[in-house]
Amino acid sequence: MSSKESCRNELRTAIRQLSDRCLYSASKWAAEQLVGIEQDPAKFTPSNTRFQRGSSSIRRRFCTNESTSTPPTGVAYVSTPVMEEDEAIHGDFYLLAKSYFDCREYRRAAHVLRDQTGKKSVFLRCYALYLAGEKRKEEEMIELEGPLGKSDAVNRELVSLERELSTLCKNNMIDPFGLYLYGLVLKEKGNENLARKILVGSVNSYPWNWSAWSELISLCTSVDILNSLNLSNHWMKEFFLASVYQELRMHNESLSKYENLQGTFTFSNNIQAQIAKAQYSLREFDQVEVIFEDLLRNDPYRVEDMDTYSNVLYTKEYFSALSYLAHRVIMTDKYRPESCCIIGNYYSLKGQHEKSVMYFRRALKLNKKYLSAWTLMGHEYVEMKNTPAAVDAYRRAVDINPRDYRAWYGLGQAYEMIGMPHYALHYFRKSVFFQPIDSRLWIAMAQCYESEQLHMLEEAIKCYKRAANCNDTEAIALHRLAELHRELGHPEEAAFYYKKDLERMEAEEREGPNTVEALTFLATHYKTQKRFEEAEVYCTRLLDYTGPERETAKSLLRGMRIAQSGFPSMDVEHFHP
Amino acid sequence: MAGVVKGPGAFAITPHKVSLCILVHTYASPSQISVPFPFSSVSQHNRLGLYLLALTKSCDDILEPKLDQLINQLREIGGLLDDWLTDHITSRLSSLSSPDDLFNFFNELRETLGGPDSGVMDDDQVILDPSSNLGVFLRRCILAFNLLTFEGICHLLTNIGIYCKEAISSSSYEHRLDDSGNDLESLSEYENMDLNLVFKKINEEMEARKKATEQVSFHLHLPKDLSTLVEDVEVFADSKPEHNEKGRESSSYASGDLLRDVDPDGGVFLRTNWQIQGYLMEQADTIEKHDSSFTFNAFELTLRQLQKLAPEFHRVHFLRYLNNLYHDEYFSALENLHRYFDYSAGTEGFDFVPPAGCKDFGRFEIALLCLGMMQFHFGHPKKALEVLTEAVLVSQQHCNDTCLAYTLAAICNLLSEIGFSTTSGILGSPFSPMTNVGTSLSVQQQLFVLLKGSLKRAESLKLKQLIAANNLAMAKFGLTHVQRPLLSFGPKTSMKLRTCPIIVCKELRSGYHLISDFCCEGSTMTTDGAFSTAWLKNLQKPMGSLVMSQDNGSRNNSNPFLFFTQPSSIPGSVLQLVGSSYLHRATAWEMYGSAPLARVNALVYATCFADASSSSDAAVVHVKLIQHLAAFKGYKEAFAALKIAEEKFLCASKSRILILKLQLLHERALHRGHLKLAQQVCDELGVLASSVTSVDLELKTEASLRHARTLLAAKQFSQAAAVAHSLFCMCYKFNLQVESAAVLLLLAEIHMKSGNAVVGLPYALASLSYCQSFNLDLLRASATLTLAELWLSLGSNHTKNALTLLHGAFPMILGHGGLELCARAYITEAKCYLSDPSFSVSDNPELVLDPLRQAADELQALEYHELMAEAFYLMAIVYGKLGKLQQREEAASSFKNHIIALDHPHDVDDPILS
Repeated sequence: MSSKESCRNELRTAIRQLSDRCLYSASKWAAEQLVGIEQDPAKFTPSNTRFQRGSSSIRRRFCTNESTSTPPTGVAYVSTPVMEEDEAIHGDFYLLAKSYFDCREYRRAAHVLRDQTGKKSVFLRCYALYLAGEKRKEEEMIELEGPLGKSDAVNRELVSLERELSTLCKNNMIDPFGLYLYGLVLKEKGNENLARKILVGSVNSYPWNWSAWSELISLCTSVDILNSLNLSNHWMKEFFLASVYQELRMHNESLSKYENLQGTFTFSNNIQAQIAKAQYSLREFDQVEVIFEDLLRNDPYRVEDMDTYSNVLYTKEYFSALSYLAHRVIMTDKYRPESCCIIGNYYSLKGQHEKSVMYFRRALKLNKKYLSAWTLMGHEYVEMKNTPAAVDAYRRAVDINPRDYRAWYGLGQAYEMIGMPHYALHYFRKSVFFQPIDSRLWIAMAQCYESEQLHMLEEAIKCYKRAANCNDTEAIALHRLAELHRELGHPEEAAFYYKKDLERMEAEEREGPNTVEALTFLATHYKTQKRFEEAEVYCTRLLDYTGPERETAKSLLRGMRIAQSGFPSMDVEHFHP
Repeated sequence: MAGVVKGPGAFAITPHKVSLCILVHTYASPSQISVPFPFSSVSQHNRLGLYLLALTKSCDDILEPKLDQLINQLREIGGLLDDWLTDHITSRLSSLSSPDDLFNFFNELRETLGGPDSGVMDDDQVILDPSSNLGVFLRRCILAFNLLTFEGICHLLTNIGIYCKEAISSSSYEHRLDDSGNDLESLSEYENMDLNLVFKKINEEMEARKKATEQVSFHLHLPKDLSTLVEDVEVFADSKPEHNEKGRESSSYASGDLLRDVDPDGGVFLRTNWQIQGYLMEQADTIEKHDSSFTFNAFELTLRQLQKLAPEFHRVHFLRYLNNLYHDEYFSALENLHRYFDYSAGTEGFDFVPPAGCKDFGRFEIALLCLGMMQFHFGHPKKALEVLTEAVLVSQQHCNDTCLAYTLAAICNLLSEIGFSTTSGILGSPFSPMTNVGTSLSVQQQLFVLLKGSLKRAESLKLKQLIAANNLAMAKFGLTHVQRPLLSFGPKTSMKLRTCPIIVCKELRSGYHLISDFCCEGSTMTTDGAFSTAWLKNLQKPMGSLVMSQDNGSRNNSNPFLFFTQPSSIPGSVLQLVGSSYLHRATAWEMYGSAPLARVNALVYATCFADASSSSDAAVVHVKLIQHLAAFKGYKEAFAALKIAEEKFLCASKSRILILKLQLLHERALHRGHLKLAQQVCDELGVLASSVTSVDLELKTEASLRHARTLLAAKQFSQAAAVAHSLFCMCYKFNLQVESAAVLLLLAEIHMKSGNAVVGLPYALASLSYCQSFNLDLLRASATLTLAELWLSLGSNHTKNALTLLHGAFPMILGHGGLELCARAYITEAKCYLSDPSFSVSDNPELVLDPLRQAADELQALEYHELMAEAFYLMAIVYGKLGKLQQREEAASSFKNHIIALDHPHDVDDPILS
């Protein structure tokens, strides 16, 4: 990796260039990374370290790989020369246009630049037009809501923009920013292949524009596509890869990339949040919580990604923390989908599902394609026993992203709830296809097979086996496997799974009815197998428990002693008072 | 939003509707004379009214027509008024330049409508009744306009602008091409035009030039930009040429939709919800009628566009499912089915009578029913049964009796189509309330009980169509199963084990009631819409314009083609059911052995129900007729008919027509002695069947029966017997008793040919008894014939016996048997006489010669060399005995010819095979 100093310099220039072109979110991103770079201790000044306070504790706890700050050997990063600015001859017009742009008067800005031919001016004009079209599109979307739902309003500037940009592109009169815009337009028009090509061209010649990268991410829907991209090896590519891996559900790869990046950008909030999201997908809720707490300390007005935090708080049932978070985000920005989602989560946790649905709906009004809100709303409807609405919500989530295993799972559950296990299986199958490592999904499917209507126990066993193989935290699978085998009259297998379950419970220091059941079965099983020593061990352990099993154990022991001492076998019950 | 479907009444005002309003305003302008300006006659006036009515109802597409389409149609309608109307519309539209103009326009419209007491108005005054069709339309338009927000009005204004611009640009372009003098025009001028039109025009232009100059001078005459444009279009028009070939009526959508997708910001407006529903219903019918010849992609494209324009219109997913289903796309069919029911919860778009008191629960049992039928369609009977069982459970839970009745009918259908070898455990516990005799019954008995239950249920729910369908299923059951008491003890045990043709006929007949008292399941809407669509389509035909330009005002004449397109008031599904009862009749008569009746019924079906029939039913009837031709007229005619049928039905894999072709080829190859080919064809037939056990049983039986026949013809008797034996085992296992009779007969023949007449006898007798109990009279006659042959081959002292048997069967054979059977009977008769020691040829030569000649004649059409040789051989012997040497030589040489043909089957060239 390039040295921190060069990264810093590159980013500084880039921020200026990006904000000069009104690419604000990209410049915001770059600035966040810039202050995330660890400061040279020699130049410590209080103002410089303001962003870097308080984060050391978490880093010490979770940054396992301390050596990441040294660049991995063998990877040579391309150093892309920082672009030279073309001299603005009509700089005054540009300044006016930029001011209009900043006041969100896009058409006016474009009009000011109508005769300018400098690359920068052309870009800003096109970009302003694009945004004007987008703004109009959003408005039209509400205006044109027809009887059969919203019709897709289109950005009416796209056609002319595409024509102009493609001509510029053909004549090689386009800068990386123009390419970015061209790629964006192509993507909107549905020409994804060309869009990818153009965007790759843009990021290869100007890698600091995160907006271009994120457009590219949204176009990388499979690993094959990712591998086919011809990207030069800039350090920005690492960010890209980390993010793409996350989209492609390759969470471990993503996590290692981010941890690598943390070596240079030690204090980047962004990276921290991404790590938290990856950990969330890996269901490491404790770590996620710690990271988010730390993040909120440093950046108390952050709303981005906070929905993930709220999900963790929801799962852990931290009522007050969740309400505190909800309060905080609503004071910061009430009309953000994330804020609404957090409040929805809070109400859901409080069991007020109607209110919860209302807030999820609001989130969806703000962003129709907000995937997790659809899914969460589905959950709420399930709680409210409104199955058709739940099914509808889940189906919308699935149609937005067919890889969303949670929604598939929700669909399955909803159908199972109304007594259609066979129909539900279709959805469970889909869900395990996209997330084969989640034991809960396998268990749900197995329960479906087990249901009274289907009673396909062989299939259920297969599913439980899969569940047991993927880290079944609630330990349902092993127990059910043992029970099913017992029911089906496979004592050997049953004993095997009871034993495993027992070992597991011992390891986790848990005890309960399952322990007793396992011990009883094992004792009887070994007794019938005439393996008295093992049977005795289990019987003795059973004696520690109260209840009828204790008596059974006693009688078993007695019976075994009699058998061993050569007495004629008698009915042990006779000895029982 | 989730779970909420907006009412179908929603109605949006669009430019097209504005132009309709203008026309309505013209039609009913508030004037004091009976024929208002500009109309010159009452008929002219009426015609416009009719046209407007049709426009508001037709459902031939999902999109509203553009202005130029409207103008073209007006040209057909308007006659002399054409120019005036066109000008009027365009000028009115283009005068709408500000929101205020729109306000004024709609205010003006209000005047057209009469008040509630318009009935008492002066007769001469033209005033639109507010409750008439057009009046309602106008009121809805006004209401929709009044509900618009200011932004909405702005949109309407912009859209009207686009709507006019498109029409003007395309029409001005036409004018420009008419005086094709200047060629050099820049790309930018072509941009806004309909690419398809450009493409077509340019092609025409080029062709005209080609003719004029006799050489292609592409570069000289076309501007470069234009030529690249053409190339672009070409690429994308080429992507689906094959669809367009087969697409027939739907091909027009294909090109249109492609272009609309490209159209960047053209005004695209959906028709009213009602019209779209109608369109989709019609398309669903068309898919069923044409299945694989219906273009998949074109329709898919339309649906995708519809989905984009109306994301909350979930019916689209169902149509997609149907489209996939009929094109054998299992996975996307499955996906779309699930999607449809996820969105609609089974409450949208079904014509079921809604069960009383049902509730916000969704009707997912319908989803299960559909899923089950889909699995069945794709040949997964086990899965289908599982799903349908669940459907039964859920319907019971939700008290959806209608769905339950339909599900039961579907299960009956499944059970009767699919062979189940096990006797119990197929129908699980949920059926116990219905079968209530327990599951110890055989599958057939369970099926019978289910059928009865389903029929009763349908009757109590008054589902007329389901009753009819169940009656048909009962008839089918009665056709192939003997009546057996459900309990094997008690006073009724001594029942005769026979099928009962009377019951079958009764069941079939009861289906006819349907045609007189079908229930109207909201069918008026579709017929109305379909009628309007047909009416509008007819406008394009020359006849329409001819009639329209006739301006003599005679009322009777004004719309004669109404007569041609007059829709029958009977819904298609009812016609289909009644038609299939004829089909069942034909099958029944085929089995009972009345060839003429079978043919008549098939013909009735083909002539009267062809329009309403699904493609599979239509294929079945064609197959029946062609088989009949082959048996009674020989192969030449059969193959000629097959050619026609092949053109009509696309020869998809596994289609019935393909199977028929293979059957005919096999039979002919056998007759000609072309055994290798026969075996090959037979194998192909076998491959068509699914590999899943108990699926495609009919086809499997057919294939192995033919396999055994081929082996028999090749004189590999032991192998033939083995194949036939295993086939019999299969038939027994799956309870295919009718087929068993045929197999037994074949076994008898095999043993006879192998010289083991004594072994053959019991088989023939067994077959005979099967035929008797199933009333298979023709097969019985043929078994009797075989029996006679067997007796004959046992020695000359049995000839009397054989002859008696034969004469007993003769009426049936000669009345209903095919060429082959008759010929065989004749030859056997001659052989009987000849081997009878008490019979002398010279006394009564015609007694022998006549049947032989008849046989030879009939065999000619079949090209059955083996039997022909035998006939001529016998003839030669007879002539020899009579001393007629010349005739003897003739017969002998014919004999020789046939023997040679039999040995060298390859000499005959075969046009069909290629």
